Formats: sequence, C-alpha cells, structure tokens
Amino acid sequence: MAGATVEQARAIAPEVLRPAWRRRARGLVFTVAALAAFLAMAIDLQLAPGAFMSGFGKLGRFLGEMVPPSSGGQFVRILKALAETFAMAFAGTAIAALIAMPLGVLGAKTVVSHGVLHFLFRRFLDVFRGVPALVWALILVSAFGLGPFAGVVALALADIPNLAKLFSEALENTDGRPLEGVRSAGASPLNVMRYGLAPQFAPVATSQTLFFLEGNFRNAGVLGIVGAGGVGFELEERIRIFVFDQAAFIILLYMVAVAALDSLSRWLRNRLA
Amino acid sequence: MTVGVVEAFERDRRRLLMRQRAEAAIGLAIFSILLAVSFQRSQFFGSDLGGDPLGRIGDFLDRMIPDLRAEALFEGRRTQGSLASWFYALPLWLRAAWQTVEMAILATGFGAVLALFASFLAAQNLMPFAPVRFIVRRALEAIRTLPDLIMALILVAAFGVGPLAGVLTLTISTLGGLGKLFAEINEEIDPRQLEALTASGAGPVKKIRYGVLPQVLPNYASYALIRLEGNLAGAAALGIVGAGGIGLELQRAITYTEFDTYLAILMIIIGMIFVIDLVSEAVRHRLIGLEKA
Repeated sequence: MAGATVEQARAIAPEVLRPAWRRRARGLVFTVAALAAFLAMAIDLQLAPGAFMSGFGKLGRFLGEMVPPSSGGQFVRILKALAETFAMAFAGTAIAALIAMPLGVLGAKTVVSHGVLHFLFRRFLDVFRGVPALVWALILVSAFGLGPFAGVVALALADIPNLAKLFSEALENTDGRPLEGVRSAGASPLNVMRYGLAPQFAPVATSQTLFFLEGNFRNAGVLGIVGAGGVGFELEERIRIFVFDQAAFIILLYMVAVAALDSLSRWLRNRLA
Repeated sequence: MTVGVVEAFERDRRRLLMRQRAEAAIGLAIFSILLAVSFQRSQFFGSDLGGDPLGRIGDFLDRMIPDLRAEALFEGRRTQGSLASWFYALPLWLRAAWQTVEMAILATGFGAVLALFASFLAAQNLMPFAPVRFIVRRALEAIRTLPDLIMALILVAAFGVGPLAGVLTLTISTLGGLGKLFAEINEEIDPRQLEALTASGAGPVKKIRYGVLPQVLPNYASYALIRLEGNLAGAAALGIVGAGGIGLELQRAITYTEFDTYLAILMIIIGMIFVIDLVSEAVRHRLIGLEKA
C-alpha cells in the first residue's frame, strides 16, 4: 500500500522524489553550458575588454559635452525637421492603413474561409512582418534619393503587414448578431456594413491605427539616420561631427514631442473606447 | 403631456445627432488638413524627384528583382541568371547573419541579468526603501523612451564600428524593457512563501533565492524569449549604423547599388527571424507547460 502511494506521488511530481544532488547537478551543468556558450559567442564577436574600457572613457566625455544642451542658433531649422518627421509618420500611417484595409479583409477567416488560402495569406504577411522600417528605408533612400519620400514609403511598407493582421483579427472578432439584426430589418448589403459592421470595427481599427502612428513617430525619428529626412538626419549630422550639445538638444526636443503625441493619441484612443 | 415628452425627446435626439455630426465634421477636417500638410511636407508628390510616386515604386521593384533565367537557374556562380550568382556571397552573409544572432542572444542574456537585479530594486514588495525604487524606475523609463538607433549612433561613436556597440545598445534597451516587466512580475508573487522564509530567519538573498526566483523564473524566461525575437530584428537594423552583423552587409549592398543583392540579404534576414521565432515559440510553450505542471 505504502509502495503504491510513493508510486502515485512519483507519477504526480517526479521532480520532488528525485535525489537532490541530481537536480543540482543538472542545474550546474546547464549553467556552465550557458556560460560557456556566452563566452564563446563573445569571443567570436571579438568583444575585447580593452575596447570596452576605452570606449567608456570616450562615452563619458561625450556625455559631459552634452551638458548643457544647446540649439546652436538653429532652433527653427530643428523645429522644421521635427515637423517633417511628424509628416512622414502621418503620411506613412495613412497610406499603410489604406492599403492594409483590403488586405485585412482578405486575411479574415470569416471572409476567406478556405483554410489553405487563409493560411498562405497569413504566412505571406508574417514573412514581411519582421522587416524593420529602417531596412526598407535604407534601400528606398538609395532608390528615390535623400529626403522624406523614402521615409514615408518605408514606414508604410513596414506597417502594412502588421496592420493588415490586426485588421483581420478585428474583423474576425466582430459579433455576427448585429449584422443579422440589420439584415433581418431588410437593409441592403451596404447598409449592413454601415450599421452592423462599421460601429464594431471602426473604433478598434482607428485605435490600432493611432497606436501605429505613435510607433511611426518614434521610427520616423531614426529613419533620417539613413538619409530619409527629418529630425534623425539633423541628429546624425551632429553626432558625426561630434557636436554633442546640439545632439542632446535635438534628442530632448524629440523625446518631448514623442511624449506629447503619445498622450494626445492615448486621449483619442480612450475617447474611442 | 405625452406630446411634450415626445417633443423633448425629438429635440434632444436632434441635438445629439447634430453634435455627433459636428464632431465628426471637425475631426474629418483636422484629419484632412493634417493629411494634406503631411503629404506636402514629406514631398510625397514632389515633382523634383521625378514625377509620379507609383511609377517610381514600380521602377524600384523592377530593379530589386534579380534577372534569373530558368535554364541557368542551377548553374555555377559565374553564369549570369543562376541562383548562385544572385546569392554570390552566401557563406559570408550566413556568417554575418550568425553574428547578428549572437549579438541578439548576448544582449538578451546580459540585459536579462541586469534587469533581474534592477527588478528587485524596483519592486514594491522587495525593496522597502522608496527613493531607490523611484530612481531605478525613472532610469528604466528613460532608457525605454530613447530610441535604440539614437543610442547606437552615440555608442558607435564611442566604441567604434563593430558588434560591441550593437551588443551594448541592445543590452541597455533590454534592461529598460525587461526591468519594468520583471518588476511587475515580482510584485505579483505569492507573499506567503516570503513570509515563511522570513519566519524561519532567512536573509534578503536567501529570500530572493528560495522565495522569489522559483515563482518568477518561468515568467522571466518567457518574457526574455519574446524580447530575443525583438532584439534579433533590432540587431539586424543596428548593423546599418555600423554596429556589426548582417546590417553591415545590407549597408554595403546599398553602397554598391546592388538592389538584387539587397533583396537576397533581406531574404536571409527574414529567414533568420522566422527560424528564431519558431524556436523561441516552441521553448516558450514548453516553459508555460512546465509552469502549469
């Protein structure tokens, strides 16, 4: 009887009845293996402690030069660049939402119910979901020349698969009963969409698009680094010639703008919800 | 009497409708103006870049797609139009892609360990001293607001071109992201296990080792793995500003205006992210399974 109970206990929680040293040894082996793997990777990447130390010295000097931040008499120019960054984010998000809408409809299981087609379409979107906007921007700047146009297209390309996925999920999550109700009242298909679907779908889609606008404003700021205009371009220029007080000024101004847009967007999203 | 009620209702309803329509109209107007100004400022339809934007995008896609010839597809590297001539430096790119994976893994590891320490200092139930909590939390917040690439620009200037700057950037940003998440996990632990340890006279280190870690480690690992997926895409992008790895190869392909090469490297990046996502998802599901058991 007692043997049976131990057997049962072993079946329920095998870890507890195993000798402690075996558990410890396993943990030790795992830790050592992980540390060895880390060390091997660090050696492979040639992360030398010497370079690390001397880099910190330089970094300290840079940070020292950042105080106090200064506009260098170019406040208007920086503000213009900030406006350009916002323009890139807004235009890019608008285009992405416009293109993602039909793609989202195609990706919704409730619209395209064919399993294989649905799977292929979703996978197709997944493939492009991981490509960051900066990677798009790099090649687009080379194709279209320096300036914000490349940035707009890069942001749109990076967002389309993500937004399309969210839109199709929002469509799949809509309740079918309001549609049925409107339809049973004799409404035309267009009116079914307008009064049955839109009130459920539009707030969700709008709030997701606003969320992407916030993200794009953050991304647009760095796209300038590869030449896509805006505040990142100004920043890259100044870091390249080691003018760190102006760089710090731009970074601070940009972070304030990001925070402002975030709270505006949060307010709008709360109103929608 | 009843007529008055109906009239009042109709009036209210009309007023409500009017207000909703006015709000919608104002919203639409603001949106349209913003849209127009944005397209103007971002020179989307700017003629100085050569006219219609759609035509330019089509032209660009045409240059990006390689000239593959069906009959020469599996020929050697020197034959024009073969797959091997398209992926002409595949070993080099795979090596660079592996470096990017290493950068992401190292940064996630270092960042997670730092976040572990930070999270104990930021958790309300483990750090009784409020000013420390406040400072650690604000510091983590500051890291999260600073875009990775801007941090990378400065660190590349300080530590030189190479993977070191990339690993450092991602480590710091991982610390910011995971530190907050870990602290939130810490605050949700079961306090009874801590009480039992306190009652048996354990010090703070032993309390964390036996009272906190067993409860939080599976969640930590799960978040760290999600972060690893993000860091991989991040590491690929950081290479572009000189932080090593596959991004550097992308940058090189652009310098030589080899658009088809760019597409080839991009496909390697996409494949790399895809594989890591699959592995990480499998491990995470196992961890969640273990947690339930």
